[in-house]
Amino acid sequence: MTFFKDFINVLSAASISFLLLSSTFGCIIYFCLLDGRLRSKGGAAFVVLGVIYFVAGIFIRPLLYLAVAYVLILFGLSNLGPRLWDKKTGKWLLIFGMLGFFVSFFDPNFYLIAAKPDNVPIGAMIFLLGIFTWIALRKAYLNDKQIEAGGIPWEKTETSEKLFVWPDLVYTEMLCMILLTIVMIVWSVGLRAPLEEAANPTSSPNPAKAPWYFLGLQEMLVYFDPWLAGVVLPGLIIVGLMAIPYIDTNPKGAGYFTFIERKWELGIFLYGFLVLWSFLIITGTFLRGPNWNFFGPYEYWDPNKLVPLVNIDLSELVWVQWLGQPLPKLWPIREMFGIILVVGYMSLPPLLAAGPFRRFYLKMGAPRFYVGAFLFLVMMALPIKMVLRWLFNLKYIVHIGELFFNV
Amino acid sequence: MSEEITPYQVVPKTPLAGSAAADIREQGEMTRRSFPFVITAAWLALTAALGGLASVLGRFMFPNVLFEPVQKFKAGFVADYAVGEVDERWKDKFGIWLVRTEETVYALISVCTHLGCTPNWLPTQNKFKCPCHGSGYYKSGVNFEGPTPRPLERAKISIDPSDGQIVVDKSKQFHQERGEWTDPESFIKL
Amino acid sequence: MASVRGIQEGIVNSQIWKSVFRVGIPNTNRKRVLAVLGSLILHLHPVKVRRSGVRMSYTWCMGGTSFFLFLVETVTGLLLMFYYRPTIEYAFTDIMDLREQAPFGIMREMHRWGAHAMVIAVWLHMFRVFMTGSYKPPREFNWNVGVILLVLTLLLSFTGYLLPWDQLAIWAITVGSSMARATPGAGNEGPMSGLIKLGDIRLIHAGDDARFGLIGGRSIGAATLLRFYVLHCVAIPLVAGFLMAIHFWRVRKDGGISGPL
Ligand code: HEM
Ligand code: FES
Repeated sequence: MTFFKDFINVLSAASISFLLLSSTFGCIIYFCLLDGRLRSKGGAAFVVLGVIYFVAGIFIRPLLYLAVAYVLILFGLSNLGPRLWDKKTGKWLLIFGMLGFFVSFFDPNFYLIAAKPDNVPIGAMIFLLGIFTWIALRKAYLNDKQIEAGGIPWEKTETSEKLFVWPDLVYTEMLCMILLTIVMIVWSVGLRAPLEEAANPTSSPNPAKAPWYFLGLQEMLVYFDPWLAGVVLPGLIIVGLMAIPYIDTNPKGAGYFTFIERKWELGIFLYGFLVLWSFLIITGTFLRGPNWNFFGPYEYWDPNKLVPLVNIDLSELVWVQWLGQPLPKLWPIREMFGIILVVGYMSLPPLLAAGPFRRFYLKMGAPRFYVGAFLFLVMMALPIKMVLRWLFNLKYIVHIGELFFNV
Repeated sequence: MSEEITPYQVVPKTPLAGSAAADIREQGEMTRRSFPFVITAAWLALTAALGGLASVLGRFMFPNVLFEPVQKFKAGFVADYAVGEVDERWKDKFGIWLVRTEETVYALISVCTHLGCTPNWLPTQNKFKCPCHGSGYYKSGVNFEGPTPRPLERAKISIDPSDGQIVVDKSKQFHQERGEWTDPESFIKL
Repeated sequence: MASVRGIQEGIVNSQIWKSVFRVGIPNTNRKRVLAVLGSLILHLHPVKVRRSGVRMSYTWCMGGTSFFLFLVETVTGLLLMFYYRPTIEYAFTDIMDLREQAPFGIMREMHRWGAHAMVIAVWLHMFRVFMTGSYKPPREFNWNVGVILLVLTLLLSFTGYLLPWDQLAIWAITVGSSMARATPGAGNEGPMSGLIKLGDIRLIHAGDDARFGLIGGRSIGAATLLRFYVLHCVAIPLVAGFLMAIHFWRVRKDGGISGPL
């Protein structure tokens, strides 16, 4: 048991579990796509990734756990294949998930965090997200099988059938309302809303957290300065969401679940919604303790946990550590490398348009392509910065304290 | 399966010749020449009106008078403070740490420059530590760890010539990264 | 049993009932149509809908759940307003009172859990709409109305979080609102803000930046509480309610719940 807990704590505390999660998730999609057989380039890429993890893991200890877990998951999924979308498999996955959750409640540290009143809805959200993602992908899988066989998605078989709103829809709505009312009453009687001590502006609690639905943003604050994580990125999330219908010109897949007809759209959206937004909220809620340190799910939230904060800037890394020079005084010279990197990154879209993504460029047209590519690059800046932080303790790529401009 | 998805289309009906509607149409038609001018003027007027409204609304949200705790207070005599100590007696009331060193006295504002929590002074570790996201500052207020991008701020500090007491004025802050800590108002020279 | 039926018939055929519900019991197709058309609330719906639009497995009923929870929040919120005063002196004690003394002391619980549930429901609704590709033409605009509704839902929750005036509240809002300080060009600590100067004087400072306008002061205080109270109880619900009306109307005008063509 303790080994198991250690294992999971290491898994989460080595924040690379983030990577694991995202690629596992990509894996699931691929399996949905490939019918469970590793036969395309995509499938092979995941196997290669698994091997790389494994080799890296032999040198870096926590990674070894990860590598083992990763290979196991890959193996399990490849054996499950299309059976993943069976109702029976779904049921068992849910039962196992819930069992794991409830057994974990016997661990005092886990209980302390997961049973906090404000965290209860987030626990429920994890399950809801899992269930609904599974349902959506299952339906997509079933429809895709039909489409590949030359048939039509099941929603299409019913288009001509019309029902009277009274009674069919009205009764369904009525039932939903009654059920929801019951849920709300039971929930409210069973769980008291939290109320802490009266406000005291001179003493901050440790950790001080934003409301849970903003914890993804707060988690981003670890990697970016407030102007980016708190203002620019949230703004771009909203803009990006609003831009979706105008960027996505794919006429297929409107009004029914499908994966193969909308691979790119689904891939990008699910990555942003599940992996970045939801996973970061879960991390911020359950895995960030005092001083915003990382804690595994079974770890004691020790306010005195010492985590060496040895983050350095890119300029220091290059000038001092690699070139053996003192830092130049003038910021344009000091930050030269970082600026080149950032500018280079943001000017990728024209290169992509000319090179590997020419097909999309031609299909979408310049404005759509550039806006879409820009938004995508901004989104990917987050995981990139996260990985840089874990691997190189990198704090800022560009650090111009003089202008308050830090990236 | 149709290509165009147009669930509803409004096709304006042509009014019957000679009817009142047709009359209005005729008279309402603008001449070609005045049209561009009118439409430009109309858009400009609309934009100006909306812009004006928005700025009035916006300005309304910025009060002229604040009902906040006083920003300026007398903090006793320099001799009340021990050399080399971070003094916490004004923290709860005014959010200020007074620090006396060999040559100077300065007032640090107890607001974390990351996202505004109140850090704690940890005498054993000789640093300020913010409980919210772990930013750490030296006694001087300069940051050395955690996510904060810059040092703590210092408040305006002076000696009242009439009674020799220290006066701290929080309404004026000094930022180290802007090179303001050399300003003679940001510390008392002993 | 017969007498129960008799009573029902008596009620349904009375002049009072008929003055309210014109149609009577909708037991024929004609009456079903009229029942929907003749009611302000029901005629949010069309008379007939596509089969898949009724299926829970297609819509997950999440849009409807969001709306229902919005109504729950409106009702419970209204009840809370009878006991709550938005001042630093009273806010916290009034919440204590609501929790310990008010009859049926679960209104606050309902309101808080309802808010959490609404955020989750709106996310799942958006997720469903995306997964079924329902934002594609002609529904682009309604998707955008939806995004604004999502933002308003989060803002409603955020402004409400401050009102209990406990430690959880003020620090969450301190941390959350401090981000506004970093707005480029408009926040005291944002990049570029330092460049906006008149001679040597910075025009953007703690006393006039974006955060100041949001919380009505330099730090979270009485002004912030009042501001958030007004936003939470009046301003945002009104805007959200208005947009919901547009949202529902557009669902119908765009051809009903989406389905394959
Ligand atoms: C307060 C929040 C919201 C409420 C109360 C609400 C309510 C509803 C309802 C009742 C429907 C009917 C279909 C269904 O139940 O699924 C609907 C449809 C729709 N909603 Fe929302 N919604 C909200 C937020 C959003 C958001 C955040 C989005 C997207 C970003 C969105 C986009 C749409 C679209 C595109 C449709 C049409 C879907 C179709 O035709 O299949 N809504 N909404
Ligand atoms: S508020 Fe102090 S570290 Fe974030």
